Amino acid sequence: MRIRLRGVVIMVAAVAAVTVCVTAVSMSAGQAPAAGAQPYRAPRATDGHPDLNGIWQAFVTADWDVQAHPSNPGPHPETMGVYGAQPGGMSIVEGGELPYRPEALAKKKANFDKRMISSVTNDPTRFDTGDPEIECFRSGVPRSNYMPFPFQIFQNASQIQIVYEYKGQIRTIYMNPHLEAANESWMGWANGRWDGDTLVVENTDFNDKTWFDRAGNYHSDALKVTERYTPISPYHLQYEATIDDPKVFTRPWKMSFPLYRRIEPNIQLIEFNCVPFVEELVYGPLGLYKKQPK
Amino acid sequence: MRRQVLVSLGVVALVALVASWVPVAAQGQAGATTPNAKSGGTGGTANAKFVWDPTAPAPADWTPPRTPWGDPDVQGYYLNTSYTPLERPANLAGKAMYTVEEAIAAFKVQVAQDAEVDPTTVHYDWKEYGMEAWQSPIRPNRRTALVTDPPDGRIPPITEEARKRQAARQAAEQAKGADVQSPGMYTRCITGNGGPPRIQGGVTVESQIFQSPGYAVISIMSGDTRVIPLDGRAHLPSNIKTYLGDARGHFEGNTLVVETTNFNDERNWRGSGSGMHLTERFTMANANTLKYEFTVNDPTTWTKPWSAEAPVPKIEPPLYEFACHEMNYGVINWTKGSQIREKEGIGPNGRADVFREEAEK
Repeated sequence: MRIRLRGVVIMVAAVAAVTVCVTAVSMSAGQAPAAGAQPYRAPRATDGHPDLNGIWQAFVTADWDVQAHPSNPGPHPETMGVYGAQPGGMSIVEGGELPYRPEALAKKKANFDKRMISSVTNDPTRFDTGDPEIECFRSGVPRSNYMPFPFQIFQNASQIQIVYEYKGQIRTIYMNPHLEAANESWMGWANGRWDGDTLVVENTDFNDKTWFDRAGNYHSDALKVTERYTPISPYHLQYEATIDDPKVFTRPWKMSFPLYRRIEPNIQLIEFNCVPFVEELVYGPLGLYKKQPK
Repeated sequence: MRRQVLVSLGVVALVALVASWVPVAAQGQAGATTPNAKSGGTGGTANAKFVWDPTAPAPADWTPPRTPWGDPDVQGYYLNTSYTPLERPANLAGKAMYTVEEAIAAFKVQVAQDAEVDPTTVHYDWKEYGMEAWQSPIRPNRRTALVTDPPDGRIPPITEEARKRQAARQAAEQAKGADVQSPGMYTRCITGNGGPPRIQGGVTVESQIFQSPGYAVISIMSGDTRVIPLDGRAHLPSNIKTYLGDARGHFEGNTLVVETTNFNDERNWRGSGSGMHLTERFTMANANTLKYEFTVNDPTTWTKPWSAEAPVPKIEPPLYEFACHEMNYGVINWTKGSQIREKEGIGPNGRADVFREEAEK
């Protein structure tokens, strides 16, 4: 009897374990926890707020195009082969479509056509180059968060700094006190606050020079980006950005994707100083670059 | 954008720097907590307490700060510049330290000399943004030079190997002729001030040290961001060479010690090679001053290691973005000008040499 009872207990335990496993698998596959499930409670930093410190990375193909896109051979298959090919991917935009004003949609298409054209001049009043990324320019917000590079969050109670492997570019999120921008900039100005366990960042004071992707999606200097970073497991942040730019879009729109924690024990950002990589591209057409003998 | 920053920095710099220096200077005057205030002995002038005295003990009524998680706290915004020369001038041979009165007198001379600039050159100088040198938090220094070791205050001679390396570099540059790769890291917007280490003076002088559990981050406006793990991990594999090097930090008492290796050859910092080992020590000396010490060890370049020390005053936050490479028309003008000078036969870089020295001294 005792033996039999033990068998039943083991069976019940096994069924329970399988159920837990199945639930866990379906949760991870279906992204959001089922309704009624306990929300994830993140470990705390010394100030009592969720601890977001770590190296994170998005695994989406949105840097090619934030909207749904097929794979294609990329711009230079004759020299790059598969190295330069574009993978397909789903849209990270809520509802799929970007609500462009009609004239802005035309500019997006023109952007795509000139995306690989570098036309830097010594006239500071001119800015008619293609995708800023191809020239190693600062990549702006939110694009920096879904480029194919990791980034690292450093958090204390007064500021949160985000350092991107791409270019070593940095954003400071002022938590306490909030500070004001002096001027517009590529990476904008960020003041943050906590909404429960979600870090909310209000980004303002952007210039009009960064793009959302290599497909030519763009914004104006009226851009405001509200980001939300929510821990959903020890290894994931749910990221959401609301884009408000009445000069370019008819209404605010939202993008979202998960950020994954890089858990390799030896992970660190490796310097990606791309300026020397683009000197031939940028200055060659001006006759200012001489090839070095190999 | 490299040049524009100095023109249009007018807006940012005048607002940011002047606005920030004044309150810092005012704090300095109001506070009696500088180490120099306690140093006494050598000077009785009203200005004595403003003089940096590296021999003075930390203020008795001041406790070095700690972060909420218990690490020594060296965070802040800093102005990395100085009127003190890197190497001791020949006329001060044998004299490592000024008296307080001498330090103040030397400061006044240095300020006056600094104001005498060639108006035909671009003068990259933070000091132009203050109307008066005493408005900045930079103060007279009892040291006659930043170099503290060797004891003569002079950087040791370079090795034969380094001499050959430099000669080969110059020959290659002459053969190539001026192009965008001819000027240094700063003009090309590859790094903001040529370091690390951070030599006082020159350009892009504002920096921030930020700490979170397990890390320190040192950044400057133009984005030379140094991430410094404090967990004792090994350096990167030796085949990964970088402009900023691979930094590892730890604390010794109240000092953040940072060891940096894995430098690349391209950065060519003062002729150094990729085997350079840099040790930096960051210590809060008082509430408003960070003591910055560094030792450079590169046997392929210098006959022995050498060290320097500088007081680095705090400034008010924040830093503003300096998008240097984004539309760097400065390097375009520099290169075009240099190529014209080459055609005119005025040396390989002509007038531009002056600019290069200004930018990267």
